[in-house]
Amino acid sequence: MNADDWLRTLTAELHQRRVAADAARHVVAEAATHLREGGGDPWVVFGPPQQYAGAVVESIGTAPGPRPGPVRLHAAGITKRYGRRTVLRDATLTVRAGQIAAVVGANGCGKSTFLRICAGLMSPDAGEVTVSGRLGYCPQSGGTADFLLADEHFVLIGAGQGVARGPARRAGRAAARQLGWEAGGDVQARHLSGGTRQKLNLTMSTLSAPDVLLLDEPYQGFDQGTYVNFWDQLSRLRDAGTAIVVVTHLLNQLDRVDIVLDLTPAHETGWHAPGIQGGRP
Amino acid sequence: MNRLVTVAEMTLRELLRRRGVLLLLLLMPLTFYLIRRDAYLGQSVRSLLLGVGWAVSTAALFATTAARELEPRLRLAGYRPHHLYLGRMLGLWTVGLVISVPFFLLPMIDGADLRYGGLAAALLCSVAVAAPFGMLIGALLPRELEGTLLLLTVVTVQMLIDPAGSGARLTPFWSSREIATWTVDNTDQGYLSRGLLHGIVVTALLALGVAAVASVRLRRRRHLRHLPVG
Repeated sequence: MNADDWLRTLTAELHQRRVAADAARHVVAEAATHLREGGGDPWVVFGPPQQYAGAVVESIGTAPGPRPGPVRLHAAGITKRYGRRTVLRDATLTVRAGQIAAVVGANGCGKSTFLRICAGLMSPDAGEVTVSGRLGYCPQSGGTADFLLADEHFVLIGAGQGVARGPARRAGRAAARQLGWEAGGDVQARHLSGGTRQKLNLTMSTLSAPDVLLLDEPYQGFDQGTYVNFWDQLSRLRDAGTAIVVVTHLLNQLDRVDIVLDLTPAHETGWHAPGIQGGRP
Repeated sequence: MNRLVTVAEMTLRELLRRRGVLLLLLLMPLTFYLIRRDAYLGQSVRSLLLGVGWAVSTAALFATTAARELEPRLRLAGYRPHHLYLGRMLGLWTVGLVISVPFFLLPMIDGADLRYGGLAAALLCSVAVAAPFGMLIGALLPRELEGTLLLLTVVTVQMLIDPAGSGARLTPFWSSREIATWTVDNTDQGYLSRGLLHGIVVTALLALGVAAVASVRLRRRRHLRHLPVG
């Protein structure tokens, strides 16, 4: 990573951590000047950009985030059984406009099931879900058509909303660019790499400008840069008022979310009744 | 209407890009025709029609299975179940009609003396029945192998059953067989009308079956309440 990359990552980190825009610009400009005049490897001078951003946040604090808006998703008392096995028991989650909720838990604890129930793709044995506005859903894998091009996927999703082909294509390409992907080629989905295919999957879910966005570990196969872009995009969507629920097992990202729902069963954690836990302060 | 046409178009695009599948779709009826070529012409034409029916059913089965994971998210994107299954059916009917053209011309080139209007009607019946038939199997049996085996069973029964027996009328492609008899053997008009009626009724029933399964699978779940953005 050269100095420019380091500064870019620092900028993204400061933005991600909600450092006020003016202060972030000032910090990056100072670091750039220091590197230009003093020379040296930024990793040696300042350390990893994430760590430096953390130190900046500790020193100057963060700008207050926009106040969460009205409730967009309310899932109450969700219980689901497969035969005799109960995978979800009384799970509850409320997410407001402008919030990110992370659904975490051990393998097989029902994270994807919970999300599918919230999306209305599966019925629970008990409980109900209320959604205000339009719903977007990105599955863990699949959900694309092997023999269609990315543009054709955008047209297909756009037609569902009554969007004409040209604007749907343009919107899809623009959303893909946010993830660092130029989607306009003539490559069929089956020939895309796993990570790029997930970018297509994710782009499709944001294309209809959903008020509630449900993401089931959408970053499978992402490289580091795309992963950073992914969280940047989530921050942008959150700031624009989208309520986001993301299933994740990467606990190091939990400081970036507002709410954590841990679905690990009580007998594994000693903790019962999964519900809302604090995330990002 | 735009949604319906878009789904039909994408189904068509997907199938046309599967060149290997297209080749096999053409090869299957051709083989059926040629294998009976030395025998009685009627058998050859009936086999051809069955081959077309089987080929289109198989394409419909695979298209339905492939769309299984995509359809729920299309539903969330604003499509209603009928846009999805009718659009797909339209796309499959179009593919079926396209692959029927060379098989309409084949007996002509072969110098067969038959009623070509009847051949066209029999091909139309085969394609009309085959698309919803394959889709229904694909909707009921989510795994391709099970679906293919069931198709194989039905087509084998169709091939071996006595066409004059009452049980034959329960097989999906009986219509094209009846019309083929009128086409090749110059029988009375009753064969044509019975065949057409059977084709229309079976197509309608199968399409209704597809509609019922899709409406259940893609239904709006009762636990989910949608409110307008406040």
